[in-house]
Amino acid sequence: MEERPRALLLKFPGTNCDEETARALKVVGFSTEIVPISALNTETLDGVSLVMLSGGFSYGDYVMSGRLARLVTEQKIGAGLREFRDNGGYLLGICNGFQILTQLGLLPEGSLVENTSGRFQCQWVKMKKQADSPFLSLLPDEFEFPMAHAEGRLVTMSAEDARKYRESGAAAVTYDQDVNGSFEQIAGLQDETGRVFGMMPHPERFLYREDHYDPDWKNSAPDSAGSGEEKWGSGYYLFRSLYESVTSSN
Amino acid sequence: MSETESILDQIAEAPADHYRILKISDLDGDRLLELSQFMHLSLSKEDMLAVQEIYREWNREPTDVELEVIAQTWSEHCKHRIFGADIEHETNGKKEAVKSLFKTYIYDVSNRIFDRKPGFVLSAFHDNAGFIKLDEKLAICLKAETHNHPSAIEPYAGANTGIGGVVRDILGAGKGAKPIASLDVFCFGAPDTTMDNIKADDVLHPLGIMRGVVRGVRDYGNRMGIPTVSGAIQFDNSYIYNPLVYCGTAGSIPIKYIDKEVGAGMKVIAVGGRTGRDGLHGATFSSAALDTESHESDQQAVQIGNPIEEKKAADFVLAARDADLIEFITDCGAGGYSSAAGEMLEECGGTINLDNVTLKEPGMVSWEIFISESQERMVLAVKEKSMQELQKLADLYETELIVLGDADGSGILKVTHHGETVCQLDCSKLHTAPTRHLSAKWELKTEPVDAPAVDNGGEDLRSLLADFAVVSREPIIREYDHEVQGNTILKPLAGASGDAPQDASVMRVNGSDRLMSMSVSILPEWGKTDPYAMGTACVDECIRQMVASGADPDRLAILDNFCMGNPDAEEELGALVETVKGIAAAAEIYGAPFVSGKDSFYNYFETEEGPVSIPVTILISGMGIVEDVSHVTGSSLRRRDSLIAVIGSTESDLGGSVYARQKGLANATVPGTDMEAAMGLYRTYYEAVKEGLILSAHDVSEGGLAVTLAEAAFSGKAGLEIDLSSLPTGENVSVAAMLFGESPSRLVVEIAPENLERVAAVFEGQPFAPLGRAAGEHSNLKVTRGADVLINEPLDELKSLWKNGLAHYY
Repeated sequence: MEERPRALLLKFPGTNCDEETARALKVVGFSTEIVPISALNTETLDGVSLVMLSGGFSYGDYVMSGRLARLVTEQKIGAGLREFRDNGGYLLGICNGFQILTQLGLLPEGSLVENTSGRFQCQWVKMKKQADSPFLSLLPDEFEFPMAHAEGRLVTMSAEDARKYRESGAAAVTYDQDVNGSFEQIAGLQDETGRVFGMMPHPERFLYREDHYDPDWKNSAPDSAGSGEEKWGSGYYLFRSLYESVTSSN
Repeated sequence: MSETESILDQIAEAPADHYRILKISDLDGDRLLELSQFMHLSLSKEDMLAVQEIYREWNREPTDVELEVIAQTWSEHCKHRIFGADIEHETNGKKEAVKSLFKTYIYDVSNRIFDRKPGFVLSAFHDNAGFIKLDEKLAICLKAETHNHPSAIEPYAGANTGIGGVVRDILGAGKGAKPIASLDVFCFGAPDTTMDNIKADDVLHPLGIMRGVVRGVRDYGNRMGIPTVSGAIQFDNSYIYNPLVYCGTAGSIPIKYIDKEVGAGMKVIAVGGRTGRDGLHGATFSSAALDTESHESDQQAVQIGNPIEEKKAADFVLAARDADLIEFITDCGAGGYSSAAGEMLEECGGTINLDNVTLKEPGMVSWEIFISESQERMVLAVKEKSMQELQKLADLYETELIVLGDADGSGILKVTHHGETVCQLDCSKLHTAPTRHLSAKWELKTEPVDAPAVDNGGEDLRSLLADFAVVSREPIIREYDHEVQGNTILKPLAGASGDAPQDASVMRVNGSDRLMSMSVSILPEWGKTDPYAMGTACVDECIRQMVASGADPDRLAILDNFCMGNPDAEEELGALVETVKGIAAAAEIYGAPFVSGKDSFYNYFETEEGPVSIPVTILISGMGIVEDVSHVTGSSLRRRDSLIAVIGSTESDLGGSVYARQKGLANATVPGTDMEAAMGLYRTYYEAVKEGLILSAHDVSEGGLAVTLAEAAFSGKAGLEIDLSSLPTGENVSVAAMLFGESPSRLVVEIAPENLERVAAVFEGQPFAPLGRAAGEHSNLKVTRGADVLINEPLDELKSLWKNGLAHYY
C-alpha cells in the first residue's frame, strides 16, 4: 500500500488554528503530525513532505507578528527550513504562518503590517488567482475564503516591488477589492520554486460547503434552495491541490 | 488605648513578617467590623462575630491567612449568600417566606427536570460548568460569569480577565473540557451620553468603556483561539456607573472525563502563570459597591491578562487529560489558591506549601500568596506516578508546573510557609457562613395604556432600525475571530450578503455528528416594571432562538446570570425575587434545566445625587443540541419566490418594547408569556425543521415584527410583500402592536410555496398564518393590512440605517 505523504504542523505557543488545519490536511490525504516548537530539531524534518505553519498568535505577536517565531525557529534548526525547501519540500503558511514565512525570508520580501482600518477584521473575502501554483491548481479563478487578522496588510519597500510581484506571479492570489490596504491587493505570495506559499485568508475554515455563510452557496438556480451537490468548500481544493502536487513530485 | 486601636496598631507596627496572629477573641462587634474593613475582608459584623465564635470554640486566635481564607470563602462572590438567604417577600400585598432562592427556584426546579429527562444532564451546579449529553461519547458544557466591577474601573483589563477567567472555568470543568465557543453580553450607558449626565468624578464615559471592553475581549479570545460567536449589547443610562460585562464559554469533553475525585496521597500541582500582588482582594472587592474612591483605591484588584500564558496552560491541560493523567482539576479564580485548593481539599484535606509557589516579585507574605488572583493558573490533583509524564508535557507546551502540596485524607486544610504552619482550618467549618435574613417587596408598576395610532409606519420603522437597541453589532462582531477552530456553521452574521443578523449560533463539535446551538437573551427594560415577565420572556427568547436555529426543543439547558444593585433595598431585592420566580416557572414548563449560574450584587454607585442602581438584569444563555447539520436554520431570506408566515400569537401589550420607549409609553403593561402554548409551537416547529420544510426562521424580538421582517430581508435576496390581515392575534391588538410590539414566542418563517400545504397541516390547531411572499420583482419591504399600506420602504435604505448605526460610535 502506498504510504501517505507526511505533513508536519509546527505549533508555537499561541498557535491556535492547528487542529482545523491538521483536519484539512488529513482529509485531503496527508499523514499529519502537530509538533510543538519545543520538540523541533533538524531530524524532525526527515521524511517530511510538507511543513505547515498555521494561524494563531505565535508568542502573542506583541512584537511584530511572526518575529519571535522566526527567532525561535532559527535558534532550533538554523537554516533547516531553507534546506528542506531546497531538497524539494513544500511549505505552507496561513495567516500567522504567512507572517512567519515572511519573517523567515522564505517568501518574496515584504512585511505584513496593521490593517489600514486599525482593527482586527473577521470577514469573508473574494479572491482571485493571479498565477499558477501547486497550491491553487484545482481552484477556479475566483473563490472565497474567510480572513481574520489585524496585521494582514502586505507592504513592500516600494509600490513598484508589489507591482513586480503581480507581473512575475509571485503574488499568486489577490483580494478582489481593497480589504486591508495590501499593496496591489495582494493576499498571498509564492516563492520562485512555487513550493513555498503564504496567504492571509483561511482555507481550513472552508473545508465543507456548510462552512459558507450563505446556506445556498453553489446553488445554481436562484429559487432552488436545498442542499446542493457540492460537499466540499474551496479550502478543500487548495489542500487537495497541494496533496496532488506533493504526491506527483515524489 | 482602645482595643481596636491596639489591634490596628498591632497590624501596622508588626515587623514585616510573613504572617501574623490576630487577637480577636476579646473584641466587640464594632471593632471586629473595623478590622474587617481595615483588612478589606468585606465580612459583616455578624460574619465577624461568627468567626470569633468559631475561634473561641477552638480556643485560639486566627492567623491573618486564616481570616483571609474565611473572607474569601464567605464572600458573596464565592458563596452566593444572598441566593441562599431567608427572604421575607411581599408582592402586591401577598407575603411569602423564601428559604433560599437558589434551592427553591433553581436547584429544585432543575432537579425535577433532571428526573423527567434521565441521562440528559450529566453534571450540574457542583463543578465549574454544567454538562449535557451531546451523543454517546461526548458532552458539552457552558459557563457564564460577570466581570462588572473590574470593567468599570479598567475596561480593557477587566473584560480581558473576564474572558480569561471563564475560559479557565471550562478548562477546570470535569477533568478539563476544551473551550469551543464564547459569548459576550454587555450593558453600557448610551453611546451618546453627554458628560454632564455623569454625576460623579472619575467615571469613564460609556464609549470609553465599550471600546475598552470590546478590545479586551478581542485580544484575549482571539489569542486563545476560541471563536466569540454569540452576544448582545444593551444600552441604558442606568448602566453608566455600573456597566455589566458577561463572558461565557462553552466546552466539549469525552463523557468518561466528567467525573473527578481527589484522593489521599495525590499530589496537588499548579500550572500556568506565576503568583504576584496583582489581583489581591478581587473576590471581596466585587462583593461591595463602587464609588469614586474605588476608581483610585481598587486598581490593585484589576489585572491585565496574558492569553498566551493561558493558551499554553490549556494545551497542557488538554494533552494531560487525553493521556488520562488528571484526577481532579479546577481553575484559580476568585480567591486564588485559597479557593482552588480549598475546593479541592475541603473533604480530603491536605497540605499546601507556599515555599513552592513561584512568584512574580519577592517578599510576598503568606496571605498574599495564598489569595492572590494572578491570572492564568490551574490547580490539579494527580497521581504521584504521573508526575514524570506531566512534567514532560509541561516542558513540551512551555508552561510552568509547580508542586503545591499533597492531599492527605485528614480533612484539614493546612498551609505552611518558611517552615511554619500559617493556616490550619477544618474545611467543614469554613462552609457554614451565617444565613442572611433579608426582606423584599415588589409591586407591579404597569398599567394598560392606549397604543398610539400608526400614522407613518415607515418612519417608525426607520427610527427603530436606527435605535441603539436594534442597530447592527457588526463593527464589534468583526473584531472577534468568530470562525477560529473552523466549526462555526451558523455565524453571527450570515445570509446571502454575509452581514445579516442571526438568532443563535451553531457550532460543529469535533468528534460528533451532532452540533451545538448557543443563544442569549437579556431584556432589562422589561424588568424595570415587570421583573416576573422579564424572567419568563428571557427564558422563552433564549429557547426560541436555539429552536429557530434547528435545536431539539427537548434537549436544551440554560444558565442564569443575575446582576443587581443593592440587595439590602427591599424593592430591588423584590424585583430579584420576582425575576427568579419568572425564570423558574419558565424553565419548568419548557423542561430546560439550569445547569450553572452566577450572580453579581452591589452594582450601584454613590453619585453626587445619591446612589444609582442598575435595574435587576438577568442574562439567560443556553446550549442546545442540533441533531444533524441539515437541520441548521438561519434567519435570513433565502429565495425570491418563497412564502412568509408567522407562527405564534401577537398580543396587545407594548410594555418593554423599543417602540414604547421611543414613544414615551412609560409603565405600559409588559406582555406575558403563554409558556405551554409556546412549547407546543416549538415542538411543532422542530417537526417541520426535521421534515426540511423551513428555509429560514427569525425570532420576533426588539423592534417587533416589522424589524424582524426587515432583518430577514437584509440578506438581499428579494423584497417582501406582507399583509397583516390574517396575523394571528389575541384580543384588541392595535396596528402598533402588530408592527412593533414585542410579545414573546413568535417566529417569522420562510417556506417554499410547494410546501405550504404540508406546513399548514403540521401547524394545524396552533397560531400559524401565511402573511405574504418574498418579492423577487422589487426590493422594498411592503407591509399592508388589507388596502392600508402601513410600510413601503426600500430595503437598501433601511439596511444602511441599521448597518451603520453603531459604526459611528465604535
